[in-house]
Amino acid sequence: MQSYFSGRWTPYLLITPMAIVCLLFIFYPMVETTILSLYKVSFFGLKKIYIGFENYRNLFTSSDYLHTVWLSFIFAGAVMVLTMPVSLCLALLANQKIRGITIYRIFLIWPYALSFAAAGTIWFYLFNPTVGIINYLLNLGFGIKPDWVSDRTLALLMIMITTSWKMLGYNIVFYLAGLQNIPMEILDAAGIDGANAFQKFRKITLPLLGPTHFFLFIMNLLSCFFESYGMIAIMTKGGPDYATNIMIFKLTQDGFTYFNSGYASAQSVILFVIVCTLTLIQFRTTEKLVHYGGA
Amino acid sequence: MKFKKLIVKSLLVSCLLVGLPFHEGLVYAQEKVKVNFWHAMGGWRIEVIDRMVADFNLQHPGIEVKAEFKGGYDETFIATMAAAKAGKAPHVVMVVQYSTQEAIDSGIFGGAEELLNRFGFKVNWADYIDQVLHTYRVGGKLYSFPWASSTSVLFYNKTMLDKAGQKLPYKPTFNDIIQVGRTLVKGGHTRHAITWPLHYWFVEQWMAQAGQNLVDNDNGWSGRPTKANLTSDAVKKIYEWWKQLNDERLWVNPGRVAWGEAVRIFVSGEAAMFISSTAHVALLQKEASEKGFQVATTYIPILDGTKRNGCSIGGGTLWITKDHPDKELKAATEFVFWLSETAQTIRWHQNTGYFPVKKTAVDALKKEGWFVAQPNYKTAFDQLLETVSIPATRGAVFGGFREVIDHMETGFEKIVGGEPVPKALADMSEKATKSIKEYQRLERK
Repeated sequence: MQSYFSGRWTPYLLITPMAIVCLLFIFYPMVETTILSLYKVSFFGLKKIYIGFENYRNLFTSSDYLHTVWLSFIFAGAVMVLTMPVSLCLALLANQKIRGITIYRIFLIWPYALSFAAAGTIWFYLFNPTVGIINYLLNLGFGIKPDWVSDRTLALLMIMITTSWKMLGYNIVFYLAGLQNIPMEILDAAGIDGANAFQKFRKITLPLLGPTHFFLFIMNLLSCFFESYGMIAIMTKGGPDYATNIMIFKLTQDGFTYFNSGYASAQSVILFVIVCTLTLIQFRTTEKLVHYGGA
Repeated sequence: MKFKKLIVKSLLVSCLLVGLPFHEGLVYAQEKVKVNFWHAMGGWRIEVIDRMVADFNLQHPGIEVKAEFKGGYDETFIATMAAAKAGKAPHVVMVVQYSTQEAIDSGIFGGAEELLNRFGFKVNWADYIDQVLHTYRVGGKLYSFPWASSTSVLFYNKTMLDKAGQKLPYKPTFNDIIQVGRTLVKGGHTRHAITWPLHYWFVEQWMAQAGQNLVDNDNGWSGRPTKANLTSDAVKKIYEWWKQLNDERLWVNPGRVAWGEAVRIFVSGEAAMFISSTAHVALLQKEASEKGFQVATTYIPILDGTKRNGCSIGGGTLWITKDHPDKELKAATEFVFWLSETAQTIRWHQNTGYFPVKKTAVDALKKEGWFVAQPNYKTAFDQLLETVSIPATRGAVFGGFREVIDHMETGFEKIVGGEPVPKALADMSEKATKSIKEYQRLERK
């Protein structure tokens, strides 16, 4: 490495801008948040009292909060199981050489261009139990009109479905890129050896997409834990009865709606630790499974 | 020589004359005082406000008001707090009734009366409707300008009820709603009897009617409250009635604070009745006539066997943030003063349904025959004038209100999910008391 740079200080000089940005916008707020989590702060931030670990103690003894932690995992897990296979299937379809494929691709990627809040608004109209089109169709087809608004399980399911839908675009883009990076020679060779389409997919495509799976897993996890806020804020506001109140929503509500900055800071520290741990575990365990030999 | 001088002089003078308007125009543009106005009036009301603001700007060439819709009441309040922290607070902000105490405690607003006196604007407060002043005068001081005031009323699909041969009393009770609702649904006239957004406000209204305070210390009027009052018999009966409507599928849940959804449900004929804000009168009349049915209004239903005490006032008032140069504060005050003039009060009322907050406005409307021609605009107003002034109908004033609202709404969701009413109420009350105490813990410092 050393040989690339003429002077001893050049590399440090080159990373300075990035380091400054990180220090200013990531590390400084992180430290501030951690400190703030030890305080009780008045709603306008003018007064604060030091209360030690009281915020944390309150959180870990609150059944409502423990519920949000548990719920966040269920939610992220379900969305992942729902969105990743579907995205892959759609990406496989969008990878075919047919007429007008670019048009299909654009439509498939479309959800990504919407914000979570906009998508939430659209879906909330569709899911409206009384006047929404989804229940209209369900009623036509099966004679049922599920109450997506009042029922705890259905409300959660609704958020899971819409969040999964929202992630499709992003996932498809990356799966498409991954698919196009798979060398044709390998697939051709397998074809000559007599492998059928399913075998080729199972033994070649899927493993070679390893880095993509891994990358998307982390990105989806982050989206579920953080970005899904917009969807929930629009559609259910964490309700009914905390059924869709995941960690990020409760945190934002406590921090920005009720101005309990200390309490919210403690929650964000906990959320940070959880997501870091998950990502670390992910890195450790998948290293063996991921083949970086794709392209 | 003399001739040459004359030419030079006349040239100079003409230059000045030609240049003058440009020069003045420039000065004008520079000196226009900019006033930012953040409000929470979405939908059809955005246009109403924009037109009024345009008129103000036209009449006041030295001031340029820019109105901006900032989302719901909570969003607007939160955005204002964030902007104030960053030193960029808008001059005029619409704040909802339940955020009154927090707005005062934030310390970012200047008092309405103080500002008016300081800049020499004379407001005849005696002209304001008493109930309005009772709601917004805290500790003897009026911090904000009453403007978009509302109460709740019951709207019903008159065409549908007439067809079913049903009649709703002008002052209905809970039981009337159940009886009429059951008949309508059984007769196949509608899928659901009634709707309203899952929102604390209606519970507060029913509590006010029954003379029940939301919090102790006279609803916060005689001192900072220490606990919530959500386990009384009346509150239990209110939630039980709501639960019964829900269990029988008579009430349809549009979602939390989902005003837009509720409007759609009512307008599409999926529910025969709709308890909402009087602010919806103009919108619903228009939408209903497009759908070919007639809308009528009644007082909100109350608990059977109780005296009708009247309703508390909801909606927003206008607040002025104080951290601005005098010039801007004066312009902001002038804008709000203009909005509170009788003519503007009338215009706002007629275009939305928010009731006129001034007596002169009401008199003018009466003279015009407005209330006779438009009885739906009158209902909320009658209901308000008949209101007895007790702490319950003055509305509650305390910090941490928005958290208590969340507990009240979650509490009902628990009931819908099957939790027994007394248990849900006890839980709700405990959490609400905790929120009130936590807020107070810092205020005492």
